[in-house]
Amino acid sequence: MTEMNLSPGEIEDFAVREHRSLWLDAWRRLKANRTAIIGLIVVLIFLLSATIAHFFWEYEPKIDLDYSAKLLPPNLRVSEQSLKIHPFGTDKLGRDIFRRTVHGGWNSLRVGLVAVSISLVVGGILGLLAGFFESIEMYFWESMALMAFLGLALGALPAWIANQIFQVFLFCALGIISVIVDKKNLSKHIRRYLFAGLGLLAGGLSGLLVAPLVGLVCGILGLGIGLLLAIPVGGKIFSNIVMRIMDIILAFPSYLLAIAIVAFLGPGLEKGMLAIGFVGIPIYARLARSAVLSVSQKEYVLASQAVGESHGRMLFRHIVPNILSPIIVQATMGLANAILSAAALGFLGLGAIPPEPEWGSMLGDSYKYLSSGAWWAVLFPGLAIMLSVLGFNLLGDGLRDALDPKLRI
Amino acid sequence: MDALLKIENLKTRFHTEDGVVKAVNGISYEMKKGEVLGVVGESGCGKSVHALSIMRLIQIPPGEIADGVIWFEGRNLLELDENEIRKIRGSDIAMVFQDPMTSLNPVYTVGFQIVEALKLHKNMSEKQGKVRAAELLDLVGIPDAKKRVDNYPHQFSGGMRQRAMIAMALSCSPKLLIADEPTTALDVTIQAQIVDLVIKLQEEMGMAVMWITHDLGVVAEMAQLINVMYAGFIIERGTAQDIFKRTLHPYTMGLLASLPSIDEAPGTKLISIPGLPPDLVDLPQGCPFYARCIYRKDHCQKNRPGLEEAKDGHYVACWRWDEIKVEGAK
Repeated sequence: MTEMNLSPGEIEDFAVREHRSLWLDAWRRLKANRTAIIGLIVVLIFLLSATIAHFFWEYEPKIDLDYSAKLLPPNLRVSEQSLKIHPFGTDKLGRDIFRRTVHGGWNSLRVGLVAVSISLVVGGILGLLAGFFESIEMYFWESMALMAFLGLALGALPAWIANQIFQVFLFCALGIISVIVDKKNLSKHIRRYLFAGLGLLAGGLSGLLVAPLVGLVCGILGLGIGLLLAIPVGGKIFSNIVMRIMDIILAFPSYLLAIAIVAFLGPGLEKGMLAIGFVGIPIYARLARSAVLSVSQKEYVLASQAVGESHGRMLFRHIVPNILSPIIVQATMGLANAILSAAALGFLGLGAIPPEPEWGSMLGDSYKYLSSGAWWAVLFPGLAIMLSVLGFNLLGDGLRDALDPKLRI
Repeated sequence: MDALLKIENLKTRFHTEDGVVKAVNGISYEMKKGEVLGVVGESGCGKSVHALSIMRLIQIPPGEIADGVIWFEGRNLLELDENEIRKIRGSDIAMVFQDPMTSLNPVYTVGFQIVEALKLHKNMSEKQGKVRAAELLDLVGIPDAKKRVDNYPHQFSGGMRQRAMIAMALSCSPKLLIADEPTTALDVTIQAQIVDLVIKLQEEMGMAVMWITHDLGVVAEMAQLINVMYAGFIIERGTAQDIFKRTLHPYTMGLLASLPSIDEAPGTKLISIPGLPPDLVDLPQGCPFYARCIYRKDHCQKNRPGLEEAKDGHYVACWRWDEIKVEGAK
């Protein structure tokens, strides 16, 4: 390097600019995007109004009844017909629609948020693990934990059929044994027979306690699970099993599956959340897995391994931050979708239980009165659904642009 | 000086759909403390794979270290459990990778990534680590290191990133630094700077350096010993003088002949070794270089030569090195 006669104070390295973190950078770009800001404002209005209404504006849906004010059109002033102000009008039971829409927001948005969180956490973690172990060798205890978990998950079905909880733990134990046997390098055939037999026993015997037929069904299921667990343990196998289960979920039309789950669990807001959340799992699992697969091929992951970092740190410190942006975008878009699904369930009467306000069920309650001219009873909850979905979509689009590293200026 | 690293009969395989790729085929050698070893060979000859095998960074599956022993300070690296090898990675053996553009994590500052290594192996606090990181960046010649610590990798140029990678590798004062083609992705002037830097640091810190490259010019300058690899075998090993002046193996001769010289007339055709290296899935039974060798005889096709000592410290794997020398003299 050449020597320069500059005192340290004089050196002004112009390549050094004020350093901004990724998030600050993204926020700056998001601010510059007008539609995204509109989306953000819409989303914030909905979130704030719903939260404030829930906590500071008492509303008891069960006693909210006023037959004297049935199906009143929107009015902003007290008149002879309506003794109270109803900016959005009233519905068939004389309930103020403005109030119900605002309170309904709490329920609808909550369904969206909780459902997305369920699918994000479950799907994200499954996808992360599947992708990570597909490209990086598992430690012994890791494969043990994963196979135990897999046994647990796979055992759930026969356990449910036979109504025998301990079946789940039997299959969990079978998963652990399979890892230990794997370490002993047993020949493939012996493994297969051994595990098929063990699975058959675990499934069938405990099923027989209930009935011969149940025992038979569970035995056959156990046979399959045993065969699955008999495959030598490796990240690829784990990933394959998880992703094929995801494919199975994805093969159902999502609305139908959600309806089927709610129909099975019974109506209710919480069950709606569960159903919508469950249907969304494979989307996040696939997204996370594909992102992890591409990121874990990057040299900095190898470099972090070469520095001696543990798998947990590699995964959560080096890989996760690098795959966060597509997942954030998908989650924002998914929120819009979940709100829509929640409304669809509500419309069909499978969401909130009747007096509870919820946008979808409000629509379902009042569409019959549309022909008699009560447009306001349908318009306002419908608008609320539309605007919130639009808001989340605009925000998601903006986030996609803001978080895309290729567009980084 | 005793041996720092001793590799015996290391074999690394990759199980692919096309068959078993025999990437490293039973190599053995020793490295002393503070020694600079150059490993040269063309692409796909097992240089990087054998280095990754030492660090146990081969992905299993599809990879597999099929055989061999790697002694590092009296411990067999291949028999350590995951926690023990993790303690060695980064603190005793450090590695610098080929592509500086992707070997730093884009979402963290350069300082953060160096501090992380320090926290991991030296139990330093965040603050101490940051001070040390700035010192290290200064050591590797990054101007204004105190400010630069908080920069993100995209604010660094390629050369600076490679310097930062070296700083990261040196952070825990390793006993062995494996540099896996660290200059390949850089332009020539930066290459020279990086080479000078590593030589300087090696002398200051007294660590051993394994410099993996396909650039003979670079190793000639810095390495005391050179391993020439071909198709997963070490085919010649000796001092830089041995390799460059008293070349024995026909492959090394070919490599040297294909180096363009500065006094060549413009327009002269560059010399290259005809043919391609053998398919690592289906290695020939005899000498791996048989198909391309100009000195070959029938005996070479059937029998694989082992590494034998031709002169003290100069090893070669060729049946005919004796005769070739005579022929060359004629």
